[in-house]
Amino acid sequence: MDHVGARLLDPAFIQKLDTLSLLSRKRLRGVQRGDRRSTASGRGMEFDDYRAYQLGDDYRYIDWNVVSRLDRLFVKMFAEEEDLDVSLMVDTSRSMAAGDPAKLLVAKQLAAAIGYIGLVNLDRVGVTAFASTVASRLDRLRGRGRARNLLEFLDGLASSGETDLEMAMRRHLATSPRRGLLILLSDLFDPRGYEQALLLSRRHRFQTFLIHILADDELVPAITGDLRLVDVETGRAVEVTVDAEALAAYASARDAFFNEIERFCFRHGIDYLRTATSVPVETLVLRWLRQGGLLQ
Amino acid sequence: MSLGAPAALWGLLTIPLLILLYLLRVRRRNHPVSSVLLWQRSAPTLAAYRPSKRIERSLLLLLQILATAAIVTALARPSLVVRSLDRGDVILVMDLSLSMRARDVPPTRFDRARAEALDVVARLRPGQRSGVVVAGPAPQLLVPLTDDRARVIAAIRGLEPWDAAGDIRGAALMAAEYPMGTGGRVLVWTDAARGALPALPQVTFRILGTSDDNVGITEFRIARDPSAAEALLRVDNFSTRSRQVPVVVTHDRKTVYRTTVDLLAEGSRTVVFPVSLAGEYQARLETRDALPDDDTASAILDPAPLPSVLLVGEPDPYLERVLKILPVSRAAATQSTDPAVWASYGVVIIDHMNPGPVPPGDYLLIASVPSNLPITATGEVPRPEIGVWDRTDPILRFVDLGSVRVARAMALTAEGGRVLAGGDVPLLWAYEGGGIRALLLGFALQDSDLPQRVAFPVLIANSLAWLGGETPVIRAGEPLQVPSGGGASAELVGPTGHRQTVPATSGMFALPPLTRAGVYELKTLAGSRMITVRPADPPAGRIRPGEAPAERSAAGADTGGRGPEPSRPVLAQLPVWPWLVLGAIGVMSGEWALATRRRGGDA
Repeated sequence: MDHVGARLLDPAFIQKLDTLSLLSRKRLRGVQRGDRRSTASGRGMEFDDYRAYQLGDDYRYIDWNVVSRLDRLFVKMFAEEEDLDVSLMVDTSRSMAAGDPAKLLVAKQLAAAIGYIGLVNLDRVGVTAFASTVASRLDRLRGRGRARNLLEFLDGLASSGETDLEMAMRRHLATSPRRGLLILLSDLFDPRGYEQALLLSRRHRFQTFLIHILADDELVPAITGDLRLVDVETGRAVEVTVDAEALAAYASARDAFFNEIERFCFRHGIDYLRTATSVPVETLVLRWLRQGGLLQ
Repeated sequence: MSLGAPAALWGLLTIPLLILLYLLRVRRRNHPVSSVLLWQRSAPTLAAYRPSKRIERSLLLLLQILATAAIVTALARPSLVVRSLDRGDVILVMDLSLSMRARDVPPTRFDRARAEALDVVARLRPGQRSGVVVAGPAPQLLVPLTDDRARVIAAIRGLEPWDAAGDIRGAALMAAEYPMGTGGRVLVWTDAARGALPALPQVTFRILGTSDDNVGITEFRIARDPSAAEALLRVDNFSTRSRQVPVVVTHDRKTVYRTTVDLLAEGSRTVVFPVSLAGEYQARLETRDALPDDDTASAILDPAPLPSVLLVGEPDPYLERVLKILPVSRAAATQSTDPAVWASYGVVIIDHMNPGPVPPGDYLLIASVPSNLPITATGEVPRPEIGVWDRTDPILRFVDLGSVRVARAMALTAEGGRVLAGGDVPLLWAYEGGGIRALLLGFALQDSDLPQRVAFPVLIANSLAWLGGETPVIRAGEPLQVPSGGGASAELVGPTGHRQTVPATSGMFALPPLTRAGVYELKTLAGSRMITVRPADPPAGRIRPGEAPAERSAAGADTGGRGPEPSRPVLAQLPVWPWLVLGAIGVMSGEWALATRRRGGDA
């Protein structure tokens, strides 16, 4: 991996990623043969089921042991191993520039790691950068050799624009007819709400994994006094006298916001992982994404 | 606590202004955040920046208010009264003006002042001296500085306001100039209703009174002319609102005159009406105001404006005839030279005889020279001329002596008194002194043609009137002496019926100050003599309380007065404003430090 990839992923970390693969709770149909078991029965290596022989079936798949016991012809069916369609949606709105390190950088590193794992495992990996709409898009790549393209694309992303999750999701789904794994990396600071966007992905039968990235300062604001808080995306301002009581109220609103997201995701079968920018990406990938069921 | 410049407290109005500015002009620091979503969802936080909550929580605003209040209060120049520092002499000045009888401060302004003064005396430390100065028509040192507290208390208790305007300014000056020890103070109780008070060091004014509502009688007198008598009544409105006032005049409890006068604000009306019955008339205003004491007045129509007369000497037809004509109360003749016989007459006419020394009394001496008067006769002067005479003197009013011829007269040499008419020698001489009032005519009536002149009855009438005929009309407090006529004492009955005995001193009854308007009766051996004390002049009726000198005034309207509390003026005053200024500087420094250190705070 050259210096472009090194900016996002450490070589040592990449070596660790080689041993991982994406885990889909659903069996999804791919386009080409791959390492992943498909819903289509076929010529894969993994036994799937038996069925009665029919005229024209390949004699090689007749299970003679069964024939000897039952005196009837049965053929073995194998699950087709196909590739997985992985869509990485990276929020590049202006709010993602916040944090130390920036939320966008964390999102890009996570996307790079997940995309790399997908490419290594012959999955088709696409990346969509969005703010109020799709800002840029990387068409589906396949194979380890395309990792450079993936990393270069992610490295070139910059924060701009206002968040509109629903619009971005509609645009993305319009150009992604195939179901697959959809990984959304965002801070979810959308005044219009995140619910419609996630419901759209569910409606299109995507297995959705939401990675909620927040800056430490957003979890516990380190500000006091009479302030005019200006939203970097919308320009809206709120005049607040920040004191202990105000911070406590903010914490309550924050927890309510998180609980609301968690309940929503649980209700609609969406995997959800919330993280702060202070958590190392390596820890996130190797520990929390594995525990979260995205990687194995 | 007293304030040197209470008007500065208006500056406290800047505090609401400060709060208003604080609400209107909040300086907030812009702080970019990735999203305000969570802040907007934080409803209690939104409540936290409501204006009221901000005020409650703003320590900076509180400090600013404290600093402002301290500065404004310092500008009012407050001073603190410290009891322990007060060991000096105290002179109490009591205003005896009529206006101090006003009842807007219950029971009256003067009663309140007296109570406060007595309280001050009661609080004096052992050995601390006090004195009393009263502000009557003329200031008077009633009690010099003394440590006899009982004497001071008795003097204060015996005080009553007069029906006149007191000279409070002169009294304050008198008290201020009185030599006192270190730390001495002058406490003045007044209503300051008649002009500004002087700002004097160590003088503290206690201003009493809240109202200017007063209507009063300022003149009531009866004038007689040969044909009839008329009463003159003046009513003044001292308040700032016009009003209609019914006036009732009674004589012997019978209404003889009634009218209603329209009075503009601070205006006056005079009514004149005829009277005929002799005796005392009482005028009364049927109104309610803060000073009822000047709503009544009395005047006398004397049936005999000239006194009783005793003619001593040989019978003189001229004198007897003129005494029958003139309105004397009674007249008699005698040849006795015993002064005991004369005592019951107002005026004794001694005609052409040598009486020797005369006792105190009123005398018309015709060619008679008592030995105890400062005039001597050294012979006779033939055909003296009356070259000059004092036409301005009441005795010679309307008297023309130009054509009078005198055959011979006494060669008089005056060593006192005043010569009213004469030429080479005095021919008409007047004297007052030693209880004697005398008028000496230097020639016998039969030695001149004066009895045939018109001037003769006029001269006798004027002489009897001057010698004590008409009812004296004086102002309250005006000194009055009445010849004792040989009596040792007399009884004085005041308008309210109060009686007191007046002893004779050097042949005179020196009457105590007649402080109340009305008719007094002096009962002597010669009979009763009426004395009328006129109503107070218009200035005395003004009761609108004034202002104490700026550096001495302070608020205290809750007690109906302004100025230091009664018991406090005796205490030394310590200026508080320097401490307030220091406090304000400290608070402002703290506010500045807090504002610059506090993130997002209002500097």
